[in-house]
Amino acid sequence: MRLSLTRNRLLAAVAASLVFIAPGAFADEDHETKEAWRLFVADHTNPVVRVIDFKDGKELGRYDVKGYASLTASASGQTVFAAQTEADVIHAIRTGINFSDHGEHRDLEVSEPALLPVTFEGKRPGHVVPHDDHVVLFYDRADKAEIVDEADILDGKVEKRIVDTIKPHHGVAVTMGRYVLVSAPNTEIETKPDELPPRIGLRVVDEKGEQVGEMARCTDLHGEATSARLVAFGCKEGVLVARPGGLDGPKLTMLPYPDDFPKTYTGTLLGGKAMQFFLGNYGDDKLVLIDADAEQPYKLIELPTRRVDFQLDPAEPRNAYILTEDGDLHVLDVVKGAIVNKAKVTQPYSKDGHWRDPRPRLAVADGQIAVTDPRHSLVRVVDADTLKETRTIAVEGQPFSIVAVGGSGASH
Amino acid sequence: MFNTLRFATYASLLTLGGFASSASAAELKVVASFSIIADFAKNVGGDRVEISTLVGPDGDAHVYEPRPADAAALEGADVVLVNGLQFEGFMSRLIEASGTKASVVEVTKGIEPLKSAEEEHEAVEKTEAGHDHEEAGHDHGHEGHHHGEFDPHAWQSIHNAEIYVKNIADAFCEADKAGCATYTANSEAYIARLGKLETEVKAAIEAIPADKRTVITSHDAFGYFEHEYGLRFIAPEGISTEAEASAADVAKLIDQVKHDKASAIFLENITNPRLIEQISTETGIRIGGTLYSDALSGREGPASNYIDMFRYNVNTMQAAILGS
Repeated sequence: MRLSLTRNRLLAAVAASLVFIAPGAFADEDHETKEAWRLFVADHTNPVVRVIDFKDGKELGRYDVKGYASLTASASGQTVFAAQTEADVIHAIRTGINFSDHGEHRDLEVSEPALLPVTFEGKRPGHVVPHDDHVVLFYDRADKAEIVDEADILDGKVEKRIVDTIKPHHGVAVTMGRYVLVSAPNTEIETKPDELPPRIGLRVVDEKGEQVGEMARCTDLHGEATSARLVAFGCKEGVLVARPGGLDGPKLTMLPYPDDFPKTYTGTLLGGKAMQFFLGNYGDDKLVLIDADAEQPYKLIELPTRRVDFQLDPAEPRNAYILTEDGDLHVLDVVKGAIVNKAKVTQPYSKDGHWRDPRPRLAVADGQIAVTDPRHSLVRVVDADTLKETRTIAVEGQPFSIVAVGGSGASH
Repeated sequence: MFNTLRFATYASLLTLGGFASSASAAELKVVASFSIIADFAKNVGGDRVEISTLVGPDGDAHVYEPRPADAAALEGADVVLVNGLQFEGFMSRLIEASGTKASVVEVTKGIEPLKSAEEEHEAVEKTEAGHDHEEAGHDHGHEGHHHGEFDPHAWQSIHNAEIYVKNIADAFCEADKAGCATYTANSEAYIARLGKLETEVKAAIEAIPADKRTVITSHDAFGYFEHEYGLRFIAPEGISTEAEASAADVAKLIDQVKHDKASAIFLENITNPRLIEQISTETGIRIGGTLYSDALSGREGPASNYIDMFRYNVNTMQAAILGS
């Protein structure tokens, strides 16, 4: 018997049906599900943070802190950090939203939010960077950053791993495995007492705090984001990308801006969650989409006017939302690399003036975009598909910094 | 000596997502999740298909992170070919992000999957411990990483590769009925070549003395090869390269290697060499070369298509073992 005949019979005996997997068939199995979304809103000027139930707009909590706050949610969503730059303190709020992952489904427990008794004091807290189960707190006017486990914060314990930042500067630190990537200040120039030195690069330190390798140049480092296993930092000359290097530690690569790009740079970066990419501002009236593994990493996106704020949609991986100073909200499709929709959502908010003047900020919750409108003491809720305003939530004062936490999960 | 004839190369594969915008005779736009499936698809589809590969040569699908360009490729595709068996952990979110209307086909359908080595290991330990649930006091050493129930590396058996090829031909026939006769003829011709390859592989393994048929690789990628052809593979990393081997895992492996008298140790094209170098130093076993486990080589390399890959791997192992 020829081998080929045997082979044909064998193949004929194999079931002819193939698995055609319809898109969406990877969705979770049916469980009894519940859903909860909460907005955390800090006032522009007054030292207060409010927690609002996104569904009915009711205030669930109101916390008086020490100074006006900038809000950051932890990776798990269980904690929101209120960094008060002028008051030298960071407060932590337990969100009451707790997911636990069980592989093919996740559970959701909802409880009362609360201002936690743990606080973090340090001179001029700036960037708060959440990662996995911990957070890195950077103090601009100290020479340290602190790494703190979220579980400890929620338990009311304060145990910190200190990172030496060499000299006070407006910087940032991010963990990568057992290493820390930390901004490096220019230590050679004299600065006036009320000024901070510029950043000149990025250092990698190990768990003993010892520097690994040379500092990588990144002039005026500002902006940091994580996407997949990569961390990107904004620099004047390009974007510096760190990727895990195994036993040798993180590898740092500069992606210089193309020669034909306008002479400006990125200073605010966001990182994709379902896909590996970065979205950054590029000057005032442009954005850049960055694919760090592509031969040509950058795609420039033009905006009609200057941007006020931008956010990625965690549930719709293709979507990013950009609010410009003319009051328009734009939808950017990151796969197409183009703006695909826009609509007027607020009055114009000119970008003339100080960067921190009261202007809208964005958060994305449950397929909708929450837009703080400080002039009108409102959070505007805009449907992400139609870009129509569906309702408003009254928030006393000047609602400014905002984060949204929540989602759906199984309840047992 | 094992035959190292190379076969004619075929049209180039696109590896960076997206399809060529120039005029093309291609009837089907196909996305293949990784280079080995792309090679099968090219042999079946010929000029009728235009293929985009997500995880290209020397790429590691276990840790691959999809990008917007990949979503764009899926969006424009007619057929998407995936291995399945949880090899492509990134695929479901990429499919969702792309909104693709393409048929997504698991090309392992119809094979007899092997349990993953970790699953077998845990099952054996539970039996030995005499109870179902407790693992107290046992250094499991696998905390912190996830693995599927089955070993996904089914292409390391040529018998399975033939099933892959048949599934791909059926998928192309479904999507392009006019081309079905071509796809069927191409797949039958290619399967005949795979049949010859398998005969050669079996003869090559037979030529290795039975007491020398244990080798070490970086991760558990060769379970199907072992099952089919009788060479024994041990590895510090499990079924996926994602989890780094712990120090305890490595120490245990070194003891096992010394005890089982492994004949050779190999790097893999997709993994970091440091771990294998460490084991080589500690056991005194020389590194016998690089094997192509989860990805083909680039076009200039020795394993730029599946048949060459298989021949190169067997040749490399045979030479290292017989030379040891």
